[in-house]
Amino acid sequence: MFLRLAADGLSMPVGADLVLHEEPDPESVRNSGPALGRVIERTARRWNTPLAIPLMDLRLEKADLLARIGVSVQDADAFHFTAPLDAATLATLCDGKAGSSCPGSTARDEALQYIASIPDLFPVGMAIGPFSLVTRLMADPIAAAAMAGRGQAPEDSDEVRLLFQCLQAAEAAIHRSVRSQIAHGARAIMICEPAANTSFLSPRQLKAGSSIFERLVMEPNLRLKAVLDSSACDLIFHDCGELIDPMVEAFAHRLHPVILSLGGSRKLWEDARLVPGDVVLYGNLPTKSFYSDGAMPIEEVIRRTRELLTNMKACGHPHILGSECDVLSVPDARETILKKVDAMMSVTAPSIPH
Amino acid sequence: MALNQELYDAILNGDAQKARAATEAAIAAGVLPMALIQESMVPAMDEVGRLFESEEYFVPELLLAGRAMKVALELLKPLLAASGTKMAVRVVIGTVKGDLHDIGKNIVASMLEGSGFEVIDLGTDVSPENFVTAVVERKPHVICMSALLTVTMPAMKLTIDALQTAGLRTQVKVLIGGAPVTHQYAKEIGADGYSENANGAVGLVKNLLAAEVA
Repeated sequence: MFLRLAADGLSMPVGADLVLHEEPDPESVRNSGPALGRVIERTARRWNTPLAIPLMDLRLEKADLLARIGVSVQDADAFHFTAPLDAATLATLCDGKAGSSCPGSTARDEALQYIASIPDLFPVGMAIGPFSLVTRLMADPIAAAAMAGRGQAPEDSDEVRLLFQCLQAAEAAIHRSVRSQIAHGARAIMICEPAANTSFLSPRQLKAGSSIFERLVMEPNLRLKAVLDSSACDLIFHDCGELIDPMVEAFAHRLHPVILSLGGSRKLWEDARLVPGDVVLYGNLPTKSFYSDGAMPIEEVIRRTRELLTNMKACGHPHILGSECDVLSVPDARETILKKVDAMMSVTAPSIPH
Repeated sequence: MALNQELYDAILNGDAQKARAATEAAIAAGVLPMALIQESMVPAMDEVGRLFESEEYFVPELLLAGRAMKVALELLKPLLAASGTKMAVRVVIGTVKGDLHDIGKNIVASMLEGSGFEVIDLGTDVSPENFVTAVVERKPHVICMSALLTVTMPAMKLTIDALQTAGLRTQVKVLIGGAPVTHQYAKEIGADGYSENANGAVGLVKNLLAAEVA
């Protein structure tokens, strides 16, 4: 289906946040399943796509995880573990049983159920990736990952020990989240790993043979893929961070998502050589700078879109034109952003002369 | 050759334990703290910055070097205070109101400290009012503001406006940074500078203050 959508020239932003902020009370809608479902439906209709992609709210799994140890939703965002967890806490966090869901998670699942009832829409779920969740659970994940990357073992360092405990907890949380979303009708899950990038994981260490990318990113995501596969649920993999080629190759070949979504720093037509022919590349206009006419005038948006479409057509790799990440509605810049998203979507693929 | 090669190497290699040991040994041997800072620690961080610019070091290496530097600096601070020595440049840093991201901000803080500046870290979700209070109370030379989300960036302009309203704008240089921030945005909101990475922030602070003195 995804290859067909690419072949048909589908283009769509990850735009639910933009549509959400057309509501008079976006925050109420965010936490109301049926209303949120209608926003996601409108988003899909706005850009004429069957893929009903939800809000890219990557806070939900952290909130639900920390609720298990009594941290409130209000405090979850700012909460970080600072010392290794005791066995009881870790067990509580990793318990496979479903726990309470924060209002945002409940709304997400109810919205999925709503979308799943609409025959011509394809319900897509959303979850933060395991490594990215780890980086939100720790105050200093980069140092811990760097120390682990140098060979320090959990028994040698409290920070490394905490890092791997957080990974265990993160995986458990995300598995619970995706199972719930699948139970509510998700047929694909977009796993977002923005932190799996060269700011968190040193290319110097990877080049020297460190297994840190494998242990922190690939292994947990492969386990997650197995969970999705067991429920015949497709994987859409998103990473908008700065990457090196081996990372792109690993995501594309070993996770083998139906869609690989990459950030604006990548040239998708060059990445095509790293990606199997049956993995659709999605993106990747730099929508994070759309708020500024100085940084990204509309003429530049159109130019870059044309360049991307031309080059993707020339390389022949399946591609769906879209945004490098979710397009957030920014106060005082909403119209500017929308104008550029619409401009991007209105550029059509050129025909390549034979 | 650095005054204290062991300390220099420890910082360059991001080895906090060795940095602590080398600093303790230097203190015990009577090496003056400011000499250690200026002749071993700052040169080490300068080299870290050069390696980062040449893409041999990356953010993790920057961070570990910064931590090693910080460990050494914490041992020297009481000695500096006792001798009445103050760091020449004071920087206030924080992530703006509504934004809880702190990793980039922490790296910049680390690099600035590593370059011998006094850094006052206000943390995250810092309101314009709190930045103003920090300027009044701590009298920094520079404010560095970080934002990682486009939706929180407007707080940068609000903070600059608050400084203006409080009559403090000309007393302090304002630098901004963070993933969605651009040079253009810095100009639009009246900031004095923008850096796209932590190493650049250090150079920018030095350049801005040098331009003031000139």
